[in-house]
Amino acid sequence: MAADFKTAQPVEYYRKFLEKDVRPDGRELGEIRPTMINIGSISTAEGSALVKLGNTTVLCGVKAEVTNPKSEEPDKGIIVPNVDLPALCSPRFRPGPPSEQAQVVSQFMVEVIQNSGCIDPKDLCIKAGKHVWVLYCDLVCLDYDGNVTDACVLALMAALKNVSLPKVTLNEESGNLETHMQEKWGLNILCQPVATTFAIFDDCIVFADPTDEEENLATGKVTIVTTEEDKICFVHKPGGSPLSDDKLQNCLQRSFIRAREARNLVETTLVNVDR
Amino acid sequence: MPAHRSTMGSKFRTRSSSPMELRPMLSEVSVLSRSDGSASFSQGDCCALAAVYGPGEVKVAKELSDKASVEVVFKMKVGLPGCKEKIQERILRNTCETAIAATLYPRTAIDIVIQEMHNSGSFLATCINCVCMAMLDACVDMKYLVAAVTCGLNSEGELILDPTLEQESDLTALMIFAYESSNFEVIATYTTGSFTSDQFQICLIHCREASKHIFQFFRDTMARKLSK
Amino acid sequence: MAGLELLSDQGFRIDGRRPHELRRIQCRMGVFGQAEGSAYVEQGNTKVLAAVYGPHEIRGSRGKMQPDKVLINCQYSMATFSTGERKRRPRGDRKSQEMTKHLQQTFEAAVLTHLYPRSQIDIFVEVLQSDGGNYCASVNAATLAIIDAGIPMKDYVCACSASYIEDNPVVDINYLEESSGSAELIMAMLPKSEQIVLLQMNSRLHEDNLSKVMDMATQGCKDVHSILDTAVREHLTSSIALQDSSVT
Repeated sequence: MAADFKTAQPVEYYRKFLEKDVRPDGRELGEIRPTMINIGSISTAEGSALVKLGNTTVLCGVKAEVTNPKSEEPDKGIIVPNVDLPALCSPRFRPGPPSEQAQVVSQFMVEVIQNSGCIDPKDLCIKAGKHVWVLYCDLVCLDYDGNVTDACVLALMAALKNVSLPKVTLNEESGNLETHMQEKWGLNILCQPVATTFAIFDDCIVFADPTDEEENLATGKVTIVTTEEDKICFVHKPGGSPLSDDKLQNCLQRSFIRAREARNLVETTLVNVDR
Repeated sequence: MPAHRSTMGSKFRTRSSSPMELRPMLSEVSVLSRSDGSASFSQGDCCALAAVYGPGEVKVAKELSDKASVEVVFKMKVGLPGCKEKIQERILRNTCETAIAATLYPRTAIDIVIQEMHNSGSFLATCINCVCMAMLDACVDMKYLVAAVTCGLNSEGELILDPTLEQESDLTALMIFAYESSNFEVIATYTTGSFTSDQFQICLIHCREASKHIFQFFRDTMARKLSK
Repeated sequence: MAGLELLSDQGFRIDGRRPHELRRIQCRMGVFGQAEGSAYVEQGNTKVLAAVYGPHEIRGSRGKMQPDKVLINCQYSMATFSTGERKRRPRGDRKSQEMTKHLQQTFEAAVLTHLYPRSQIDIFVEVLQSDGGNYCASVNAATLAIIDAGIPMKDYVCACSASYIEDNPVVDINYLEESSGSAELIMAMLPKSEQIVLLQMNSRLHEDNLSKVMDMATQGCKDVHSILDTAVREHLTSSIALQDSSVT
């Protein structure tokens, strides 16, 4: 009976739950789904992390290559994030070129890395003007159950912490690069951005971490990315229902709390991983 | 239809004066003859041109049975569209979907095309304002008007409203807010750089005040057009 | 490759296996919420995910609809970080398209296609880490995913690779053994009836050795079958136990 009501009138179904301040999966309005992180599972990648946010699963693999730097920034390395939402993660994505959703999330990741300044591109320089590291961060969504942005940001941060690059020096006489596979160094992560997404329902109710069904019913979305010391580095509200100031403040407070929890989780997971 | 021009020249001075003032705005509506509505909007040197086609026929795949389907295409001056343009299209599309009373036009499509004419800082805000004017010109029913304001924070923590391209390069943070005209609540935001929660609140309040001037400008432009 | 002994004097391979030993296979079914059927298979260091959607209405070109059979649509894709060097094109390059076609032909032979006319079944395979035997792991994972989705098949489809290194037939080769240049034979079969669904061999192999290598591969497929069968039965008993406990 409940299943029929849900299919016929999904909005009414949700409203009945929200009247009692709870959601159909039993969560409260501000509660985030249980998060599970697994670091270093892919040995062919320089750094990798798998994040499960409820059912949403994202795998991030970081591969490093040596390349020539851009001519306008000869001493800075390059970080290239790319998000792939393949057809296997959800029936809504068809095989073919990257969907608009994938491109938006990819651009979002670019902005997060730039705005937060989590890695100093100068660290990735081998020889200014000639050789720099380029880090290709590829995020593959394996199961899409809403809120893929939060999972992607978390996976990217965990994977970057797991990256270990071999030391590369330039042999002055021969002009060749020498790789010392025995000496490995990890990246110097300056700060860890964490994203929290909220969905706006019916123009007035705000809840955190929407699932796929909730995203379809939502009338608006807000994503807030925060770094340590409670600094905000990205507020993304792409249209949708208007939001009053105090609700926005609540969202900000909630995202600070969530960011601390997420960072603790990454730290504890890293402690158990062998580099 | 002849184009109608409106300026707010006398009230707002040029850049060299206080950083809390908006750049002079210029707008022309009905500049294109074939579209249902069009507008060109410029803030200082920054200029954009928008055209609205609709409500019109929709492709079966995109048809929504209870609302109009809104589609936005963003065209840059040079180069092919990339991921950056997609995020701007997404913001514009969602903003228009909320502003338009879409349930009045089920099974139709409203297509919006924006052409970048000149980018001189805070370009996304100019686009949002331009689209709102074009929709007014096309007489599409809207729930409220949308106005966007940009503000930046420089390294000393000072607020600069509506920065130009040169000023943008020394800023630590840049924020674009879009407000609606009935309750002045935030519809869309887009930020670059990092800032604290208090700075965010202060910018919100100042930009809200500035948006009221933009709403007044919209009204004056349309009043001029209709009085002729 | 100089200095790399694929088969030592004592009969051990690079990773310490004997010639007739398969790599360690770990599998899990029902890993995704969104797909109707899904499975994850690890064969040594090769990690593969498969997801099955369907049967559902034909999407895309109506022209491909068949009035008496179901249309099987496959997609094989490798993650960019799955190989030693970053893979620029995860799908759409020649190798992936060849793999896609092989998978499609394999499953068209195994699935009872006449039960779902005018419909489509999607099989998506994603390789997360590649260490040789990609096709075999993909077929095994897709078999488990189809079983998880409840789509009827004639029999399990098990795949295994075999090769002939230094006068010894070896089974289940990894990436180093594949790239050494010796003959590589890939076989997919229905184990109960011992019918071969797909057989592919590259490089050169003397006619006399062919039957030895094929026997090796057949035995490998049967071993894979017993592992997959155990996994399916375990998955079923645990999910029935959950259902029973929730009903009472």
